[in-house]
Amino acid sequence: MDDSNERKFQKELNGGLVGLVLLAVLAESDEDLYGYEIAKRLANANDGTSIFKEGTIYPVLRALSAGDLLTSRIVPSYSGPPRRYYRITEQGRSVLAEWKLIWRGTRDFVDRFTETETSRIGPSS
Amino acid sequence: MNRSAPRSIDQYLRQLREELAGADAALIQDALYDAEEYLRAEVAAHPEKSESDVLELIASTYGAPDEVADAYRDTEIKVKAAMATPRKVPTSKIGAFFGVFLDPRAYTSLFFMLLCLATGIIYFVFAIVGLSLSAGLAVLIIGVPFFLMFVAVGRVVSLAEGRLIEAMTGVRMPRRPVYQGGAQTFWARIGEMLRDRRTWTTIAYFVLMLPIGILYFVIAVVGLCVSMAFIALPIVAVLAQAGWFGLGGVEVFSQAQPEWIFDSGFAIPILGVAGVLLLTSFMHLARGVGKLHALFAKSMLVARVAPGTAGSAAPRAALAAH
Repeated sequence: MDDSNERKFQKELNGGLVGLVLLAVLAESDEDLYGYEIAKRLANANDGTSIFKEGTIYPVLRALSAGDLLTSRIVPSYSGPPRRYYRITEQGRSVLAEWKLIWRGTRDFVDRFTETETSRIGPSS
Repeated sequence: MNRSAPRSIDQYLRQLREELAGADAALIQDALYDAEEYLRAEVAAHPEKSESDVLELIASTYGAPDEVADAYRDTEIKVKAAMATPRKVPTSKIGAFFGVFLDPRAYTSLFFMLLCLATGIIYFVFAIVGLSLSAGLAVLIIGVPFFLMFVAVGRVVSLAEGRLIEAMTGVRMPRRPVYQGGAQTFWARIGEMLRDRRTWTTIAYFVLMLPIGILYFVIAVVGLCVSMAFIALPIVAVLAQAGWFGLGGVEVFSQAQPEWIFDSGFAIPILGVAGVLLLTSFMHLARGVGKLHALFAKSMLVARVAPGTAGSAAPRAALAAH
């Protein structure tokens, strides 16, 4: 029961964050990346386990691409179906800059309450 | 989720397909494609592990089929809501009737109807040449490969047609092709392709597109010409009255038949109004035809049940029908 509550909260948090993180990863990368590669980069940055399920990034990648924030090209692959490589567009970079500001503002705001919570209320049950 | 965790890529894909049951067929095709790309890459990245060992950990990395299915459904709803430009919906009946002129879908559907003649000819020629050459070459060694190539190219063309239809009518169509899996033998893949109902409906769609394209083109041209001519009538009448318009000395309206229309002062404006009504109705018709055609194309080009799980009776019936 507890576990499913945590999962639900994490899922709700992730709603907009996945898009932000994907844009940031692609903005940092010098080369075009495909879905699996992006997923592995996210996992490696967090000691091998990603905060969100890697299956959730594909629909978001496609949504960002449909919004002209990413461009993509298809490259055949030996291991499976052809891969779609993504690259961030100029529009994507400017959106990313805006989203970063919003994220920082949100994070600072949330921190203001959650950081002091333990000291004020204490670890009461 | 009480069912056993998937132990192979095929099992995973089957469970994902079941979880997505009832969702848009195009969305299912895309989701399966993405999952297959990831899973095959994951298996290829761990050559020391067996497929089932890799799949054991997949729920914690890629996500269990039910989680992934949820993600696709959620994202689809959000993206649709975000991409749809809010349109003022005219409230009155008259507003709703004439509002069709503000709907870009009506214009794109109209354009699509005209375009269908061109694409229909191309598809028809492609299908007929492909089929007849396949039949003709069947006795030679290149016959079978030729037929397979024909079917494969047909899938690419059907994907392109889907993209065109989505752009013109706004109905969701697949953004990724169907991937037939890599682990099967050559002959198994051929068998799969021949048993797949969609292979045959796609070819049937290509053939049908010629008569359908001709019909759409005729409807579009006649509809536009008749209504435009009626609308132009009052303007031409005024210009002719002022002497700005004539055919080499022949007065346009003194010769026009039938006389009862062109002799009365009211008839010409009334015909003009009729032309506007006709054009508006025609735009509604075009939009409706676009929608209907998209549904027809979806039923023909997109697998309702993706290959592999299809019951054995349906494909055989499809084979018999062709």
